This record gives sequence, structure tokens and C-alpha cells, in this order.
Amino acid sequence: MKLGLELDHVSFRYGDLWVFRELTHTLPMGGNLVVIGENGVGKSTLLYLCAGLTQASTGNVYLSGHAPNPTRPSELFRNGVRRGFVFYAGGLLSNATALGNVTLALRYHADVLGLSESQIDRRARDQLTELRVAQTDFHALPAHLSVGVRRRVSLARALALTPNFLFLDDPDSNLDTQTKHLVYELLEQKRDDPAVTLLVTTTSPELVERLGVPPHELAHGYLMARI
Amino acid sequence: MTSQDPLPARRSTLPYNPRSEYRRRAGFLGSIGRGAIAWVYGASALFGTLGLALTSFATPGRAAARTVRAVTLSQILFTGVQAVSLVSVIGLLIGATIVIQTSLMVPGADGDLLGKIVVAVVLRELSPLITAIIVAGRSGTAIATELGNMKVSGEILALTSLGIDTPRFIVWPRLVASVLSVVALMVYFSFVAVMASAVLGQAVLGPSPAELRSGIARALTLHDLVLFVAKGVGLGTIVGWIACHYGLLVKSSPTEVPKQASAAVVRMLLGAVMYDFALTVVFYWLVGPPLR
Repeated sequence: MKLGLELDHVSFRYGDLWVFRELTHTLPMGGNLVVIGENGVGKSTLLYLCAGLTQASTGNVYLSGHAPNPTRPSELFRNGVRRGFVFYAGGLLSNATALGNVTLALRYHADVLGLSESQIDRRARDQLTELRVAQTDFHALPAHLSVGVRRRVSLARALALTPNFLFLDDPDSNLDTQTKHLVYELLEQKRDDPAVTLLVTTTSPELVERLGVPPHELAHGYLMARI
Repeated sequence: MTSQDPLPARRSTLPYNPRSEYRRRAGFLGSIGRGAIAWVYGASALFGTLGLALTSFATPGRAAARTVRAVTLSQILFTGVQAVSLVSVIGLLIGATIVIQTSLMVPGADGDLLGKIVVAVVLRELSPLITAIIVAGRSGTAIATELGNMKVSGEILALTSLGIDTPRFIVWPRLVASVLSVVALMVYFSFVAVMASAVLGQAVLGPSPAELRSGIARALTLHDLVLFVAKGVGLGTIVGWIACHYGLLVKSSPTEVPKQASAAVVRMLLGAVMYDFALTVVFYWLVGPPLR
């Protein structure tokens, strides 16, 4: 089976404080990893490391055999590694509308994805509609959207690129029941998609139960399978 | 566990180590060593920002180049076009000030002398420096603050996750816009200041605008064009580069944003004055004194 994510003796520290030491883990392409743990143990940091958004202090991270370079992420995209990342706080561009947030990366990589301007617009609108973002919100700035809608726009932005690596940081926190179930349905689809490697960090037992993936617990810098 | 037992040691939940804020005391040599290491790290990061932005130009991707072009145009609009009114007012007043000063120091100065003074003071010195100061104060602070806020809100990280290169999408457009805006605004500033000198010069000193024009033409050399372009490109680069670098230095706290924006302005001004001084020294060393 093709290797998706590989953490090779990864250590990370903030100043003198080691968050992980010598973390080694592999995940096949299309595999799923659900990480649970207390607040502050480094779940988000682990997700950033896995996605190649943060450089490890020591050790290496590989996505489909490619080492991500945070200053040249487009190289990874050109090598066929498409990452979708849903941040805990949304991470939407504040000066772009909801639609602008979704179309930006599609436009930037239009030649790689083989999309025309009209296809970009259609794909972005379809993705937002699929995530039940109201058309009246398409042209609103993130500051004018509710937390739930922002989270859905963030998901739409990540999914519009048809990612083969999907990273979600506490995807169901601060969401109403309806939006939560929408996110769960979507994650179940991605869990079963063999083309998508799914990594989720959460503190929600409900999400863990819905996904049905045996979780790994992050504690004291170690990632341990929970039986 | 008895009541005397200490609490079990727990991993800090802070995303940084608070202890690292308190540095162990170092001796005299230790302080020098620490300072030198910090300086080398800072300088390499500063030049790294410029290097990555310049080399990002060669990154493949036609669609990315189109997107970056659009961002560059919006930056030019903000940095260059929207600064025109401010530059007009300052250029006008500087041109008038030059004439008043000349009339007080050299009463009855002819067009030739006034032309030489306008070239030496306005075109060679004040036009580049004041334009750079305006762009640094107006756009440089805005760039540093904008990028700092983008770092705090995780927007830069989000761009990286989408496969968008920060040096190409963020730094390069601002650098190009800064260079083009400073050069264009320098030309405009010089034009306004010369016009103000011509109008006020005739009223206060006597020489007609035509006499002033021929005086300026006699004072100008081909070297002036080189100096003008070198100052414009260099000062524009300094402003755009330092503003982006300090904006991107912000880590995770909103309180860092004003600190880095302030640091950016100080360094932009210092860098601009030093660069301007160095080029002026080289210019007069090659060309000779301005008034002969």
C-alpha cells in the first residue's frame, strides 16, 4: 500500500519546552488518523507538523514521499500533494469574501488543476452550496459571518482543491447541532474515500464515535493507540 | 498522596516556554557573544526574506503569476496612486521653501543658480528621501501591520496550507509595488517641487520659469538619471522589504503587531537615510561638487 503520511523521528519544541520527542508514525494513503488529548498537549501543533506548515525541530515529515517546504508549498502541490486544512479559528483571509476565499487557491493553481475562470467560479459556488452556505453570504467578508458559516466556508475552501490530505483541527467545536451533523456526514465520506488521507484532532467523543476510527491519544509528547 | 506531596508535574499548556523569557545572566563577553549571534540570525532572516521574494519570481506557474500580478496592481493603487495628493502638497511646499531659503541667502539669485540649487537639493536629495519617507510612513506601516495581523489570525498559515507561496504571493507584490511607487512618486514630487520653485522663484527672485528651466538643464548630467533611478529603486526596495520582513516576524500575539510595525518604521527610515547618504557620497565623489 502506498505510503501517505510518514513522521520520521519527529521532535518539536517551543523554546526550551519539548512538545514531542522522536515521534514516529506512518499512515497509508487513504488512511485515517484521529488524535485525541487534553487541551494544550500539542494536538494542533502535531497537525501543523503533519501538514508541513511548521518545520520540525528534528526529524522529517513526508507526504506521499515528499518533504514539505513551508516557504515553497506550491512545489508540493505541483508534485500532486494537495492539502486541505481546516483551522480551529477558520484562518479565512479577512479581506476576501467567502467566495474569494474559496476561489483564491483555485485561481493560483488553475494551470495545475486545468480549470478555466468559469469552472473555478462554478466549483467554488457548488462547494459552498454543498456546505449549505447561503448565497447571500457568498459576497460577505468573514468578519460578517457567524462562526458556523465561517467554519463551513473554511471547509469549502479546503475541499474545493479536491485534497488528497485533509487535516481538521477540532472541526466540530463551537458549532450548532445542524452544522455539526453536516460536518460529520462530510467527514464520514472522506473517511471512506481511498484517495483521501484524513487526519483529525478533536476533544469531542461524539466525533470520535461517529467516525468509528480507533483514536490515538497524544499525551506527554507520545502518540499512543487507544484500544 | 499526602498533603505535603507536591502537585504532580504537568506539561505546560502554553504554546511557548515562559522560562525562556528570563534569560540567564551572561558576563561581559557572554553578552557580546549573545548580541553577535542574535545580530547574525536577524541579518540572515532579513536577507532571507528578500532572497526568497526575489527567487520566487522564477517559481513556475502561469496562473500563480496572473494572481500575483493582480495583487501587485492593487498594491500599486494603494502605495502609489493613493499617495499622490499627499506628495503634491509636500512637493509644493518643499519647492516653495527652497525658493524662500535661496532668496534669503542669495538675494537676486539668477535662474542659473536657482536651477543648480533645485537640482542639488530637490532632485538629488529631497525628492528621493521625502518620497521614501512618505511611502514608509503611509504604506510601510500599513504593510507591516497588515502582515502582522495576518500572522496572528493564521491567514499566512492558511495560505501555506493551500499551496500558496508566501514570498511570492505576499512579499513580492508589495516589494514591486513599493519600488514602482517610489520611483513614480519621485518623478511626480520633483515635477511639483520644480513647478512651485518656478512660480514662486519668478515672484520672489525674478528669474522667469524659462530661465529656471535652462538653469536646471545646465545643472543636470546623465549621472543624475542614474542616481535618480538608483535611489528610487533602492529606497523602494528598502521600504517594501523591511515592512514585509517585520510584519512577518510577528508570531502569535496581537500585542506584537504594533511593536513590529514600530520597529519596521524605525528601520525603514534608518535604512533609507543610510542608503541615500551612501549614494550621495559616491555620486559627488564621481561627479564633483554641485556648485561650481
